[in-house]
Amino acid sequence: MTALLTLENITVRGRRQPRLDGVNLQLRPGERVALLGPSGAGKSTLLAVANGLLEPDQGQVLWHGEPRASGARARRRQQRRIGMLWQDLRLIEELTVQQNLNAGRLAAWGWPRALLNLLVPLETQACRELLLRLDLEPGLLVEPVATLSGGQRQRVALARLLRQEPELLLADEPLASLDPRLADELLALLLREGAAPRALLLSLHRPDLLAGFDRVIGLRGGQVAFDRPRSALTPATLADLYADAMGAAGAG
Amino acid sequence: MLLPAAVLLPLLLLLPQALHGGGWELVGQFAAAALQPSLDPVVLQSLLRGLAITCAVALVGWAVSLVLGVVLGLASARVVWQSLSGRCWPADLLARLLALPRSIHELIWGLLLLQLIGLQPAVAVAAIAIPYGALVARVVRDLLDALPRASLAALLNAGTPAPTALLTALGPPLLPGLLSYGGYRLECALRSATLLGVFGLGGLGNDLLLSLQSLQFHELWSGLWLLLAVMLPLEALIGRLRHHWSMPARLSLGPQPQHRTVGRQGRQMLVLLGSLLLLAWGAARWLQIDPAQLLHWQPLPPLGQGGWQEALALPWPSLIAGTLLLTLTAAALAVGAGPLLLLLVAPWRPGRALLQLGWMLGRLWPPPLTALLLLFVLKPGLLPAALALGFHNLGILGRLLREACSAADPAPEQALSSSGSGPRLALLYGRFSRVARSYLAYGAYRSDVILRETVVVGLVGGSGLGSQLRESLSGFAWQQIGLLLVAYALLTLVGEDLSDRSRRQLLGA
Repeated sequence: MTALLTLENITVRGRRQPRLDGVNLQLRPGERVALLGPSGAGKSTLLAVANGLLEPDQGQVLWHGEPRASGARARRRQQRRIGMLWQDLRLIEELTVQQNLNAGRLAAWGWPRALLNLLVPLETQACRELLLRLDLEPGLLVEPVATLSGGQRQRVALARLLRQEPELLLADEPLASLDPRLADELLALLLREGAAPRALLLSLHRPDLLAGFDRVIGLRGGQVAFDRPRSALTPATLADLYADAMGAAGAG
Repeated sequence: MLLPAAVLLPLLLLLPQALHGGGWELVGQFAAAALQPSLDPVVLQSLLRGLAITCAVALVGWAVSLVLGVVLGLASARVVWQSLSGRCWPADLLARLLALPRSIHELIWGLLLLQLIGLQPAVAVAAIAIPYGALVARVVRDLLDALPRASLAALLNAGTPAPTALLTALGPPLLPGLLSYGGYRLECALRSATLLGVFGLGGLGNDLLLSLQSLQFHELWSGLWLLLAVMLPLEALIGRLRHHWSMPARLSLGPQPQHRTVGRQGRQMLVLLGSLLLLAWGAARWLQIDPAQLLHWQPLPPLGQGGWQEALALPWPSLIAGTLLLTLTAAALAVGAGPLLLLLVAPWRPGRALLQLGWMLGRLWPPPLTALLLLFVLKPGLLPAALALGFHNLGILGRLLREACSAADPAPEQALSSSGSGPRLALLYGRFSRVARSYLAYGAYRSDVILRETVVVGLVGGSGLGSQLRESLSGFAWQQIGLLLVAYALLTLVGEDLSDRSRRQLLGA
């Protein structure tokens, strides 16, 4: 089976030391992978490279076994299959929930439907089902997103992501600003939606939340410190990952 | 905030010297006629026709400028070029080019086109649409480039084509700002259309000028009251809509965080915009406007020999100094007199109503007519021109000040009153201190508008570049006109830059 995402020997230069230094990684359908590491280890950079936002200085990124497409149109088709849950959510505050959800379909829609989406509710049934799947009230569809609570906004952002129908789910510390209960709920949803045929790559800084993941990758100083199934993870490896950073910080 | 009003002192001192004896009875007759407008059906019919033409010209000019402005604004926005092609320089280039049509007052455009094309209904419309279009383009560009880009980046990253992403991520936040500014421009367009009429481009302004020149004050007032009857409901309606859609008031110039759904409200806004554009199309048909007319240029008289030497020999320093002095005097008058007058009448309720009526007339009354009226009692020169311009802009600034004051929190004023302060002091400390900064910032912006408007009174025989331009225009001295226009444009652009800086300083500090 082709890997959804392949990173080959990725290097991204930084000002003093490389932000990523020879990183290799493969993500197959159905794999849900947590990315751990101390602050500044390169988690966000790795996700940006995986998303195509950042061109690596060395190495190759393959999506579905194919390198970055050269034509704008082919590039957009490729990008459509990669879904990103942004830390700041990036919802369009002036629009309703339904319009925001449909914004996930814009890559597939043409101009007329994009214009229509701003004027009348489109594809209400599909949007309702999505909200129900994420335990949200379907009545929220007509609400402006600016009026929603923090937890609801997270779910709407996730719903928009699913509306895009991506194969690869990326999330950069999505749990960072949530209280423990909301974090647990969102993580459970992400793990459920990241199951086969999709794959999930999620960065986080809470080793206590690893229970549902299949694989854990530890990053340190831009390099992969470990990459192993969660079942093979020992408390000692985790302690090493962070302890080193503490030591380095103390020394620096 | 009251400091600019200090200009009143030297003006008051100069006033007796500028008086030239006679003419007071005329002014008396003019004032008395306000209460007895002519009700002659023939007069009214002609005035109503003039009013209809003025309104139609304003509406069509406004609609064209809005369409033009949005298109040009999109084409000169950095974010649009960045998303579509990854380059920014074409946007900056276009924005620089647009500074030229913007810096030339609609009256100059009107007179130039009049010389080139002859008297056609399309001339007045184009005269409004060209500078207004460039102004709207600038606002659209500024609004677009100030919007947060995160959601746009997210859409683009999800593989959305750039045009669709721009529409969805930036369209809804742009609409309220555009509509709010568009409403304000519609008021301006009505004023401009009246003004263009005064200079012979058709409509009510022409009737007003003729009745003033033939001293038919009763007919003059009929026209004025009619104009007021259109202007007031329009202002009130636009104010209501702005309030209904919770749009930012005009005095708060900076971008404000506001999140509005485009759902129902957006549809209302679009329906309103669409019906206005349709109405404008109907008006254009009624005026029998044919855009092709704009391409039929009249044969120009050949360039005179030695015209350039003559043009260069004009007394440039004194012309420019005159224009600047006129601007500063009028601006100080307009900015300073508002708060002073409000303070003076504060304890007296009917006085406040009277003041508002005066300001309303000031907004409405084209400045060249005021200047003509002042010439009944004053010698021609800087003073009547400055008074006329100052009066007009006082009407605009005064209204904004009053709006801002009534929107400001009343608590401090109440606290002061209840501690025994007089009503004037309570107003000064309680309310004015709140709005002073943004009022002065708006005043800075207004002075830049006044600089552009000096041409309007200059043409009546005030002083500065405007008077010279009038002479050169009637003499077909194209070299002089060219140089004068360049001087005007440069002056306006420098003034715009200065007022931008002072505004940023006032609002930023």
